[in-house]
Amino acid sequence: MKQLILRCIFLFSAITWAGVLQAQTVNGTITEPNGPLPGANVLVKGTTNGTTTDFDGNYTINDVPQNATLVFSYVGFAQQELAVNGRSVIDVQMSEDSNALDEVVVIGYGQTTVKDATGAVSSVTSEDFNKGVISSPEQLIQGKTSGVQIAQNSGEPGAGVSIRIRGTSSVRSNNNPLFVVDGVPLPSGDTSASTGNLGIGSSSARNPLSFLNPSDIENISILKDASATAIYGSRGANGVVIVTTKSGRGGSQNGTFEFSSETSYSQPADEFDLLNRAQFLSAVQAFGSTAQDLGNDTDWQSYVTRNVASTNNNLAYSQNYGSGNVRATFNYADQLGVIKESSQERITGRINASQRLFSDKLRLTLQSTLSRVNDEAPPLSATAGSTGDVLGAAYAANPTWPADTNFNPGDRINPINLLDNWVSQVHTDRFLVNFSAEYDIFESLTAKGTVGYDKSNSTSEAAIASSSFNAGAGDTGLGFRGNLEKTNRLFEFTLNYNKDFDGSTIDALAGYSFQDFRSQGDNTSGRGFSSTNLNEMASDLKNSKNILESLVTGSYQSYGFSPKTTGIFITRLFPDPTIDNIDGASTPVQAVFTDTYDNTDELQSFFGRINYTIANKYLFTATVRADGSSKFGPNNKYGYFPSGAFAWKINEEDFIGDNVSTLKLRVNYGITGNQDGLGYGQYLRQERYSGTGISNDLTINEPGITSIAFVNPNLKWEETTQYGAGIDFGFNNDRFNGSVDVYRKETRDLLLSIPSAQPAAQPFVFQNLPAKVLNEGIELSLNYDILQNEDFGWTVGFNAAYNKNEIQDFDGQIKAGTIRGSGLTNAFSQQLESGQPLYSFYLRVFEGYDESGNPIFEGGIDNQQFLGKSALPDVTGGFSTSANYKNWDAAIYFNGQFGNYIYNNTANAFFTAGQIGSGNNVIQDVVNLAGIESPQAEASVSTRFLEKGDFVRLQTASVGYNVPLSGEGVFKSMRFSLTGQNLFVITGYSGLDPEVSTVPATGDLLNGIPIAGVDYSSFPRPRIYSFGFNVTF
Amino acid sequence: MNFIHKPIIASVLVISFLSSCTDLEIDETDSIITRDVETGDFTPLTNPASALNDLYNKAGGDFSTQEDMFAISEITTDELLVPTRGTDWGDNGVWRQLHTHTWRSDHQFILNSWNKLNGSVFRATEIIESKPEASVVAEAKFLRAFNMFFVMDFFGSVPFRGVNEGPDVDPMIMTRSEAFDFIEKDLNEALPDLETVTPGTDNTNKATKEAVKFLLAKLYLNASVYKGTDTFDNADMQKVIDNVDGIAAKGFAIQEGYFQIFEPTDDTETILWLKSDIGPRIWTTLHYNQNAPDNTGGGWNGFATLAEFYDSFEGDPNTNFVGDGQEERRGFVPDANTANAKNIGIGYGFLINQQYDADGSILKDRQGQPLQFSKDIPSLVGNGEAQGMRVIKYHPYDPTDTEDANTPLFNSFRQNEIFFRYADAHLMKAEAIMRMGGDATAMVNELRSHRADTPPLPSVGETELLAERGRELYDELWRRNDLIRFGQFTAPWALKEVTGDPTKNLFPIPETALLSNPNLVQNPGY
Repeated sequence: MKQLILRCIFLFSAITWAGVLQAQTVNGTITEPNGPLPGANVLVKGTTNGTTTDFDGNYTINDVPQNATLVFSYVGFAQQELAVNGRSVIDVQMSEDSNALDEVVVIGYGQTTVKDATGAVSSVTSEDFNKGVISSPEQLIQGKTSGVQIAQNSGEPGAGVSIRIRGTSSVRSNNNPLFVVDGVPLPSGDTSASTGNLGIGSSSARNPLSFLNPSDIENISILKDASATAIYGSRGANGVVIVTTKSGRGGSQNGTFEFSSETSYSQPADEFDLLNRAQFLSAVQAFGSTAQDLGNDTDWQSYVTRNVASTNNNLAYSQNYGSGNVRATFNYADQLGVIKESSQERITGRINASQRLFSDKLRLTLQSTLSRVNDEAPPLSATAGSTGDVLGAAYAANPTWPADTNFNPGDRINPINLLDNWVSQVHTDRFLVNFSAEYDIFESLTAKGTVGYDKSNSTSEAAIASSSFNAGAGDTGLGFRGNLEKTNRLFEFTLNYNKDFDGSTIDALAGYSFQDFRSQGDNTSGRGFSSTNLNEMASDLKNSKNILESLVTGSYQSYGFSPKTTGIFITRLFPDPTIDNIDGASTPVQAVFTDTYDNTDELQSFFGRINYTIANKYLFTATVRADGSSKFGPNNKYGYFPSGAFAWKINEEDFIGDNVSTLKLRVNYGITGNQDGLGYGQYLRQERYSGTGISNDLTINEPGITSIAFVNPNLKWEETTQYGAGIDFGFNNDRFNGSVDVYRKETRDLLLSIPSAQPAAQPFVFQNLPAKVLNEGIELSLNYDILQNEDFGWTVGFNAAYNKNEIQDFDGQIKAGTIRGSGLTNAFSQQLESGQPLYSFYLRVFEGYDESGNPIFEGGIDNQQFLGKSALPDVTGGFSTSANYKNWDAAIYFNGQFGNYIYNNTANAFFTAGQIGSGNNVIQDVVNLAGIESPQAEASVSTRFLEKGDFVRLQTASVGYNVPLSGEGVFKSMRFSLTGQNLFVITGYSGLDPEVSTVPATGDLLNGIPIAGVDYSSFPRPRIYSFGFNVTF
Repeated sequence: MNFIHKPIIASVLVISFLSSCTDLEIDETDSIITRDVETGDFTPLTNPASALNDLYNKAGGDFSTQEDMFAISEITTDELLVPTRGTDWGDNGVWRQLHTHTWRSDHQFILNSWNKLNGSVFRATEIIESKPEASVVAEAKFLRAFNMFFVMDFFGSVPFRGVNEGPDVDPMIMTRSEAFDFIEKDLNEALPDLETVTPGTDNTNKATKEAVKFLLAKLYLNASVYKGTDTFDNADMQKVIDNVDGIAAKGFAIQEGYFQIFEPTDDTETILWLKSDIGPRIWTTLHYNQNAPDNTGGGWNGFATLAEFYDSFEGDPNTNFVGDGQEERRGFVPDANTANAKNIGIGYGFLINQQYDADGSILKDRQGQPLQFSKDIPSLVGNGEAQGMRVIKYHPYDPTDTEDANTPLFNSFRQNEIFFRYADAHLMKAEAIMRMGGDATAMVNELRSHRADTPPLPSVGETELLAERGRELYDELWRRNDLIRFGQFTAPWALKEVTGDPTKNLFPIPETALLSNPNLVQNPGY
């Protein structure tokens, strides 16, 4: 691979230098009403020949044909086109853009304007980003774009975020889009090391995008339809989100500093109305039972949640010195969660630089970031069993118990004790660098080479001490330590040809890309700790691991050591699989087992695109990408993903009046793919030593070797065919504008790990299901500038999307949507079946109680059925309005979703008469069932706990004040702002928040089907108030 | 012209050059890639002996849970049931459906059993086809026969996949009778290459000649069921007797001290045990507040027995304290005087009425009321914590534990679950004699003579023999098999809904299995 890159770079350089230089120069100054405009773009139309202005707004551009047209553009300003007509000096005044449709949008391997886009592409720039506490970039654009549903899985700092662009097309775990940061497509999957399962169950990993500092981001483009995403081929089926970071273009010649700081105050937005001591005692009595009364009045929820302050600070330096610019930033953020022991600390540094050389013919760009993210997680789990996790335990705990860490409730969890005896921390360092060189070989031909390198290194430390009660630590304590190192390398080469003919333009792109993804690391579990001090436990496990690894020489897959093993057993795969036993040593932790992994996937791609524009009216786009992946066998190694689009700018036609400023019809078609979530080498038969556990008596079974995958040379890409059409419109100089899009997406050859036809090496095998998932929908977005005065401006924006989802042509039923809790083992709430949407609820129909107080169900207790209700919303939408008056500005933003249902697993597990019958606390609503529901009643999964999930949330409201400054002093600008997040939610849902869903780790999913719309003691969403200020100097 | 051609030529060069950049093959970094995708030939396992070890671990693990094979063999019978206690043990009806005989083809435990057993069959086949030394082949053949025996017993149809058949091949299906022959052949082929084992030695946890003989005896005893002949063939019965005699010849015999057999100490009865976490056998039945070493938080308060089954033992029908005149196998409940640090207050056999802590104080339930296990269970749902008698064969405390009684009890009965036991073989021989027209009374009474407080039976017919098997082998995974052979699985008992339906003698082929393999045909009645 190293040699490959060298060879490719050499070749690229050779071509680059083959260009012929021609000189004919135009220069000038670009200004805006307030003065010179640095960093503006100047481009010879129909070519890639371009430059940007320096700090004083001056530009010089060479090789300009006499009859050429120059295009002047800058984000936020209206684009202008001026014919050269032999002039050598052209000065331009740019006007602030009232017209969003002239804005530049970044697309795959290039950029265009909204006006010229043929596909469904949305772009959100930094000034439109969501404000307040933002822990990952997805939150910046939540609700900003129609047809893009973004939901944080919980209120935990750094929690994963689900993004669904135009519905849910994959039945497998990952439906998130491809993220491309400064041209580097990021691998999907976790970058944080596993924290194992320390007795209370597992949770999904952290958001891998937390490493990006949101304030470094300039622009986020969302490519929604296949004609836009097909250039990303096999990774485009779920849409593509392109993140562009800020450059130093807007900085001054001598450098500009910008400092911003924000302090935020978070509190749980909602808590359960649990019974206090007196209410509890009388409630138990009302159910005809005797309560265990230990004499206290403990509000357990208050010992688990907290009100807390967080901070976020940014320092940025940017400089634009004409032939290049540089921007450097430093960010420190510490976000504390409203559940104790939860936090995310982020430290990032970034340097972006660009340099133009050889009369601007060669442009070098560097974007690099280095980050450290420290996550701390409380004892919460998506898979907690009958005793629950710390939240479940706090809901169920008897309020008469003492709030004492040393109190042992016998068979249940004391929440304070669990918090005190638990630690789970992950430290993740990530380095992402991207270097590209772009060279104009001719005025119409540009070559570009990009090298990207993305490395993350994550270590986890987790422990539960033996001084915890009834949480699975046993008498010996449990520890876990994980290491995960991910390396993603990118080499890319593109040629761009751009030529203006009479009345028509061709813009063509051809490219090659190679990317590899290596994932290596180890997971260590330990048992038999002498200490109950959590720090000592973590360091004891680390030391034990080091001691054992100093004794284990040579390559190995796993090793284990305990008083019950024959010394240290070492499993080795190469050159031949063997198990060695060597003498052990004294280790601080009595039993240790470590398993390692190391695998690399490769992706090689060829792609091309042609944009052909006739008379600035008819726009044609065709793209194709061939992707080859090491995840597939020889029969289907390469997938081919074509697309085509046509747009007609009707407003350019003579028959359209002047009051119609924009009218564009777009139609598109394309095929994209998806291979995400398909494990390593699933088409080959592989053998590996099994994993093994450590029992409480410190026994470790020596593992044997076993087959872990079937040979399957026919495994192939999942394929999504998408058809779409849209209309963009604008009236009154686009003061009122909007767009309507319709689409139909058919996803075929669904990749799913399905039960093997037994006998088989593995119970599940990845296959392409002969079924399809259909998503059909319509999207609408509207913007209206109600007022546009010198002093006063008022804008409203609205977007909404309807999506219909259905699985078709599928023979069979797959159970999904695991429900957890006491008496709910083997319970499930959803089923995958033909004719139903994904995440369709499949439940008993609750019909009340019989005379003995047991619940009764339509058709008997074992009759589960479809209800025509799904966790997927029919309609999602956002509404925003912003206004400014002189130096004041204000914005509020609502989002909502409608038509979805939520299974309230929390209520099912904790808030029934049967729970109070077992001596557990409940909410006030349950008390009302005394005499109706028996305290010995069972609580099967049923429609009793299915609720509508409709909501409207005031997501953010903010006020800002820009201090008027002369510009002569030290400070060039100064701004204060106040932001409230999640101020209220209008919903009928009885749980804490309608927008959360438990997300178990992939290995804990029933039949490998992800879960949506199930709320099981989710981390409550905070309400946050932030005060921020921002100065430049 | 020059200007046009250069970039085109260059582009062509670049593209053709780069297309050879990588062949997209994955490297052997953390797994052994054993098979050439192109040819489809089977590449032998790199280390069959290690794979065999893994298969033993798997079998032990598969059978250790209270779910799956154990549940469908025991909860479906007159020995055990799992009542829903408040919200506990509702578990989406999986337990209720087993006891009421209303299971369907989507039952999770039935599916899990299908997958686990057949998965082991395939792994065994891989080991056998890798052609390692004869002893490894023989052990793998035993394990294949062991797992396939249960597939045949539970489902009738038995799928089989050759090692070179990829996921695109639908496995062929053997009828029950063909599977019988296949298992018989495997066992007979394994026999010469296996070691012989004598009681109490290390090898009782692996395939041996004696384990093969035990499984052959089971096979022949049930031959009429598997072959669908409905009559017990004398030749088959003679083979049962010969195989049991073969086991006895190595010194296996009935052991005095019934509950000591289930301790991991040496005994003369254990023919095969597997490394199998025994915790679920203990915790499923004990109340939350009973002592459960190794499981902080106490028992899981689930499994109970039926009053009628309890009544099949001799002794006072309503109490079970020490010296109550009950027969040895019914065990006892310690009381204030007999509870101690050795038994930690937990009894043996059947737990009824008041339960005690290790110090002799009475235990209470979670509402603070005395913990008294009731004999009757009126309904499968809506039960209180203390309803139903509990069944415990593997006691949570190991009297051989040399550690101080005050330190954690690490060595309770972990990792040792008995599958083949000589008393079972002895009763199989008795049954074979009876089926051949002989009298089993003497043999049954011989067993009873080794169990305390069990007077000899005056005569033994089918009813008595089945009852004796129940008393001797309860909770040991054979009850369903016995009931079917005696034609009693479809008989009525407490809280069972469906009776008299012979199609319940086979479980349904799991729905997902039917979808995965079009060669499979659903069993009648489902």
